[in-house]
Amino acid sequence: MNKLTSLMAVAAFAAAPALAQDAEWETQGLTDDAITIGVMGPFSGNASSYSKALIGMMAYYDKVNEEGGVHGRKLVAVQEDTACDSAKGLAAAKKLISQDEVFMLQGNSCSGVALALRPTIEEAGLPWIVAHAVSDSISDPLAGNIFHGVPTGSANGRAMAAFVLSKPGTENVAIIEHSNDWAHSYSNPARDYLKEQGVEPTAELTMERGQTDATAQVLKLRQNKPDFIIAALYEAETAIFLRDLKKYGMGDIPVMGTAGTDLENTLKRTGDFDTVKNYHVIHSYVDNLDGEKMKPWGEMIHKYYPDEELSTFSFVSIGSAEALVSALEAVGPDLTRSKLIAALEEVRDFDTGILSDPITWTPEDHQGVKGSAVAGFVDGEPTVLKAWGQPY
Amino acid sequence: MPSPRQRQLRTWAFWAVPVLLLFLPLATNAYTQFIVNGMLISVLVTLGFTLVIGNLGQLAFANTAFFGIGAYASAILSAKLGLPWIATIPLAGALGALGGFLASSAALRGIRSYYLAIITLAFGELMRWAYLHSKPLTGGTDGLPLPREAMFGISLSDDTLKFYIFLGVTVLLVKATLNLMRSRFGRAVMAVRENEIATASLAIPTARVILVSFIWSGFVVGCAGALFARHVGHVFPESFGMLHLIASFAMVLVGGLGSVLGAVLGAVLLTALPEYLRAFPGMEELFFGLIVAAVLVTMPMGLASLLRRLSPIFVERYYREES
Repeated sequence: MNKLTSLMAVAAFAAAPALAQDAEWETQGLTDDAITIGVMGPFSGNASSYSKALIGMMAYYDKVNEEGGVHGRKLVAVQEDTACDSAKGLAAAKKLISQDEVFMLQGNSCSGVALALRPTIEEAGLPWIVAHAVSDSISDPLAGNIFHGVPTGSANGRAMAAFVLSKPGTENVAIIEHSNDWAHSYSNPARDYLKEQGVEPTAELTMERGQTDATAQVLKLRQNKPDFIIAALYEAETAIFLRDLKKYGMGDIPVMGTAGTDLENTLKRTGDFDTVKNYHVIHSYVDNLDGEKMKPWGEMIHKYYPDEELSTFSFVSIGSAEALVSALEAVGPDLTRSKLIAALEEVRDFDTGILSDPITWTPEDHQGVKGSAVAGFVDGEPTVLKAWGQPY
Repeated sequence: MPSPRQRQLRTWAFWAVPVLLLFLPLATNAYTQFIVNGMLISVLVTLGFTLVIGNLGQLAFANTAFFGIGAYASAILSAKLGLPWIATIPLAGALGALGGFLASSAALRGIRSYYLAIITLAFGELMRWAYLHSKPLTGGTDGLPLPREAMFGISLSDDTLKFYIFLGVTVLLVKATLNLMRSRFGRAVMAVRENEIATASLAIPTARVILVSFIWSGFVVGCAGALFARHVGHVFPESFGMLHLIASFAMVLVGGLGSVLGAVLGAVLLTALPEYLRAFPGMEELFFGLIVAAVLVTMPMGLASLLRRLSPIFVERYYREES
């Protein structure tokens, strides 16, 4: 017995430094009154306009801090610039992890940067909530510590197809898209969904970026007489396509666009309401940006960032910030990284009050938002819809 | 001209730097080590660039194309053919050299100055288009991740292991370039820069000099591309655009056009500078521009000229020195 006790004591002594190191890692970036969160975004460079996507999240941190924090701890953001560049993004991540020693990471626009960061952050093991970038490959295959807090590309693509099929009598669907991966990230999941529902697109057309005329595509569509058209096109080309649809007497065919276009901006581009009256776009929120349900969020942002000009991006990261705070509250004051990851995996049907679909993270699936609402004009007014003819 | 003693000192100084750098990982963390690794890659990129633009005097901007070719070659050979990454470095260099050969064809047809600049810029953009539209091979806009790999039982995601490999490759290529420039060939390169017609009149095959310079530049930068691919672990077409070219050009100018020492100094300074400027979010580009402008205004011959003024051991003269 004495021998066994001695052996156990020796083993415990030998394991002590490793255990201490583990314990230290678990609470790195944590003090009695602060949780440091690394926030990476493109604050400089060509894609710096995407940094607006982090504003909502930061304002939400400020709001939580003003209300006393989470179990007495303030959320302290340490911002690092990725410039939407993979090498600079990796430097930012390594700085946050090994030099600033933050507790966790949240944020990231630019899917390419997030994809490059994935192996480093997965290896580091600290929790990371992706709050803007949409590429499915960031969180699929599953990485134990990486969570997606916005609809992914496939969720948006499937939501587009689901909306199209929700229109009674839709059988003949056509697809028009750019020949690039951005367009395919919407159109391929949409195709998959249509196939699952037994619908094969009757026409699949390409419109290249920069094209200023869509006559050929529209005339081809006129032969097909589709019930609905899925358009994975950028905003400028969308406006041209819609203009030509109307020109050739096909303006009554509904068109489903991506989250890369904005309903009212498209109207501004065409300058003719008749061209967009049957146009619909993916819209991840519960209301129009200037609607009643979005008003409190806009006010929250303006309280902490008075100069912020609100756009779709400004709100995108708020939902995941709410889910994070909810998980931090669920863990309690005895917070560790492992406990937070476990708590995030317990988030179920979390209604953020801003995203159109709830957040659910399970141990098997970290892509939290599975769908998206749609915006379209109803009686001349932009309206958020759950399905065809069903306001949100 | 440096005395024999100074030349010996120069040799010692050359080897002392990498030997001292061997101990650097003792003083770095993962972040600073990553930045240092980035500096070594930039040294090679700048070295290859300055050879063509500074030493050979050709206004050619295919550098970023060579870099992308090297990076994609390394990623494709690793990810698609399963070659160990380390074996892809010379192959990436060889493909970069092939890019250099292609880029030199314009110069060999007598195209010079702004025309050569535009053609080589177009070559870079053409390569970027190819990365974007060859999805089965390059992954398109999603890029191409390198497989996880280990050497000597250590993961190649380890920045310290990468540092030693990068350092070895960099020292080898810098020394080889210095030797090349101190050879008869190096003198011919500079003769072409000064007066191509006069050089040809001395029975120096100027076409071959131009060709070999582009090929060597492509090889060095192609190898740098392979290092970059492992450095970031995932190659994307956006990494090989105009911004990269402008940054490399700035490194050449700040270091000192046509100087190997300048290539090293420019690369180290302009890789480190943006990291120091992280403390000024949103102002980094402004400060970066101001600092680069200040260096160029006060030192038109670059940082290398400052060191040359301090000591003759930093003087780079590519003619045979009497022993």
